[in-house]
Amino acid sequence: MTQLRLKPAARARERIVGGLFLACAGLSVLTTVGVVLVLLSETTAFFADPAVTFREFFTGTQWTPLFADQRFGILPLLTGTLMVTGIALVVGVPLGLMSAIYLSEFAQPGRRRRVTSVLELLAGVPTVVLGYFALLFVTPLLQRVVPGLDLFNPLSAGIVMGFMILPIVSSISTDAMQAVPAPLRQAAYGLGATKRQLIWRVVLPASLSGIVASVILALSRAVGETMIVTLAAGQRPLFTLDPRETIATMTSFIVQAASGDQPAGSLASRSLYAVAATLFVITLLLNLVSQIVVRRYRERYE
Amino acid sequence: MSASGRPIRPDLPDMLDVGGRQARRRRRGIRALEAAVAVPVVLALLLIGALLFDVITDTVSWQVIEPAGSGRSFSFAEGFAALGAWERVMRLELAARGVSDADADALLADPDERRVLRARNRVELMPWVDGRPFRWLVTTARDDLVADVPLIGGAGGRRELLASAEAGQVVVLNAWLDAGFLSRNASRSPMTAGLLPALLGSLLLVALVIVIAVPLGVGAAVYLEEYAADTKISRLIELNLSNLAGVPSVVYGILGLTVFVRLMRLGPVVLAGALTLALLVIPVVVVAAREAIRSVPPSLRQAAYGLGAARSQVVFRVVLPSAIGGITTGVVLAIARTIGETAPLLVLGAAAFVPRPPDGVLSTFTAVPIQIYTWVSENDVEFTHAASAAIVVLLAVLGLLYGLAFYLRRRFARRW
Amino acid sequence: MTDAAKIPNETVRSSSIAAEEAAVVIGDLSLWYGDFQALHGVSLTVPRNQVTALIGASGCGKSTLLRSINRMNDLVDGVRVTGTVRYDGVELYDSDVDPVEVRRRIGMVFQKPNPFPKSIYENVAFGPRLTGFRGDLDALVERALRGAALWDEVSGKLRESGLSLSGGQQQRLCIARALASDPSVILMDEPTSALDPIATDKIERLIADLKRDYTVLIVTHNMQQAGRVSDRTAFMHLGYLVEEGPTDLIFTNPKHELTERYVSGRFG
Repeated sequence: MTQLRLKPAARARERIVGGLFLACAGLSVLTTVGVVLVLLSETTAFFADPAVTFREFFTGTQWTPLFADQRFGILPLLTGTLMVTGIALVVGVPLGLMSAIYLSEFAQPGRRRRVTSVLELLAGVPTVVLGYFALLFVTPLLQRVVPGLDLFNPLSAGIVMGFMILPIVSSISTDAMQAVPAPLRQAAYGLGATKRQLIWRVVLPASLSGIVASVILALSRAVGETMIVTLAAGQRPLFTLDPRETIATMTSFIVQAASGDQPAGSLASRSLYAVAATLFVITLLLNLVSQIVVRRYRERYE
Repeated sequence: MSASGRPIRPDLPDMLDVGGRQARRRRRGIRALEAAVAVPVVLALLLIGALLFDVITDTVSWQVIEPAGSGRSFSFAEGFAALGAWERVMRLELAARGVSDADADALLADPDERRVLRARNRVELMPWVDGRPFRWLVTTARDDLVADVPLIGGAGGRRELLASAEAGQVVVLNAWLDAGFLSRNASRSPMTAGLLPALLGSLLLVALVIVIAVPLGVGAAVYLEEYAADTKISRLIELNLSNLAGVPSVVYGILGLTVFVRLMRLGPVVLAGALTLALLVIPVVVVAAREAIRSVPPSLRQAAYGLGAARSQVVFRVVLPSAIGGITTGVVLAIARTIGETAPLLVLGAAAFVPRPPDGVLSTFTAVPIQIYTWVSENDVEFTHAASAAIVVLLAVLGLLYGLAFYLRRRFARRW
Repeated sequence: MTDAAKIPNETVRSSSIAAEEAAVVIGDLSLWYGDFQALHGVSLTVPRNQVTALIGASGCGKSTLLRSINRMNDLVDGVRVTGTVRYDGVELYDSDVDPVEVRRRIGMVFQKPNPFPKSIYENVAFGPRLTGFRGDLDALVERALRGAALWDEVSGKLRESGLSLSGGQQQRLCIARALASDPSVILMDEPTSALDPIATDKIERLIADLKRDYTVLIVTHNMQQAGRVSDRTAFMHLGYLVEEGPTDLIFTNPKHELTERYVSGRFG
């Protein structure tokens, strides 16, 4: 009976549909390739320019590509980024870990859901709104306490960003803590451990890699965050570690340079790509490391 | 050491703590610990509360204005008309400015003059003008601002303000988020600035992003869940997707600037912005759609295959209809992301002053978060009020979207 | 287990079936899931318009055998098949045979009722719609529901969700759904294992009716059921087909010791 044989039309249709789905999935690879190609070509052109040297780029302490006297030392942008993200981690990691302990070890399921959605809300506030809040609410508040605080400063940007990364730290760490097997907990209780001892000696050590992964991911998010720093930390690349002074980060420089409409192909425009490439490499490495760490803790318990 | 002592740990007491003092102390310790770790939750709530409070109170301010218009205000009844309040108040204002009735008729009848009047004058029912509640007041782009006092802390200074106001000056409680704010075009003057171009820009952006990102994202999810065997290709795609989710949004902006704006010569138009944001939210859609597809019970697929459905028929007739709830939730979250995203659009060059709504996908545009950014960076107290009004609108829309996502998640909770 | 209870080199057969009566002929079929061999050279002839039961302990490969007849196993990654399955003169594992077409002619009913989350009508109409049926769909749906002895119970509520039915009704809906594609063979994989005795009884009566128009192959772990509904029975053990023949012979006078022990309830 020939009806059972493959019909070329039906087979072709299935092939085409499957191919379309594959193309959709492949587009994501294309996006990555596009990002890498764009950054690579312009960054290569940037370093090919005689006015730029690798040595200056990585060790110079002045970053003035948009001025007549162009200097290309990325260190001020790195220290700016470092300061803001450092402050954000100092605020966000302890708070995130505490709320993770609360959610995983204390809260009843109903309250856990409610608290989680409050934290998700925090993550859902657009960063431009957080930037507004940092500049117009937190900075005036801080200026009453911190003498010599500039209007634009990494301190208030970092504090607000700390609350932005709190939900990231909290949700991943909560998952990691809840993945600690019940027999392990029962064993600790059976030996007469108190709840505090259980948390400190069993839960936290067992979920350490998940916690580390959450911190790295939060760090990566903070490094790439743009609007809070652009609005509240300023756009003045200054080689300093004083959190009261106006600085610039890699991301705020990118916004500044791009919205200043530098002609394509100019050295100023290419410097933007060099900064973006640096940013891309840093966040990519952080993401890869956090994925590896997460995979390791999954393997241990599954 | 007695015979009943503890041979291995002689350092520990011999008897159980039967008085319960130690147990009570422990329980208190645990409760203290619980209270301590709950602190960040309280802090987060406080922060959200402070943010909302700050933004909302910033949308209202006491102002002393030196008006360029008549400076007269009209009672609620005088200016009220069910539909034509604007025209009625405008007539009163024109009369107060000394324009004859005939000239006013001519002005209001001419569509071009009407448009100019609309652009230059802001007709609003103010909550409080010169000591009297709810008065119509016409303000203009050329009014001079004498003082702007925030609502909070300004209440005490209100009397002072009134007293200090000189002849010809108006003291007004200005609600920036008024009825006209959403329907006015943008303006160089904060007093008459409106959100309409940004609102329509965001709307168009969202529509385009959905049209582009949803089919692509769902298609990718279908491939990964229904087609891909565990091959090198599918592992590469998975690894790539999880890394794309971590690429800073500003880098997407650079991709969009280079490829869509410059290489494809689109310029900083809506389509370029939408393509860029679509690339940004595709991972969001993929993750949600995969989860939804994975929750479709395998028995349904088996049933369909058993009836002789081809793979594509299983996908379109069984899997996608069953996964529609989860996919919709993902789409709503993608919309929320699109609406709030600022940095990539700024990098594309969308920050230029755009006074009018976009008239097509190849039109330059502004969007609500961009408008907020430009208003905040004007570093002008009045623009700050406009920015806070825009933020309230943005947060209200986002609140609705998150509510919708929450509802959808419950509504379509799997019943198998 | 005594030494005599060895798997035979050759399937023990009490009677053979003429080629013209065969609906499906399985020849020397072996199947691997990755490195694990689930079927060892199974040969079985399924007679037309009769009910054949596949029995055996769980994991003996009876479901795998069933699923290899309509090529459902193709959907599992890493499956490898050798041997032949002939249906209506066509070798089903030939490279130019479309598994989708195979499943349209050889229907399947699963262990747990699995109606689609759609209306009763749409569940039955699913198969015809797949092939772009252009005729009187209402009549076809009614015929299929009558064929599955469900029409009288659901005729007034065809638009209600298939999930609103009771378990037994859902399973008959799944049978109706299979009938609507007009198959000639129906494979049933433990169709009553999730049902109560009354619902089971209805399905068993239905199976007895179905063999007038269809060839039925049923997997069951319930030997009473095999005894009640089937004309022929095949006993499988560890991926081998041990013995096969008329049901009454298998149950009253099994030739192989493994079969004897299984049907008398000493293992399984």
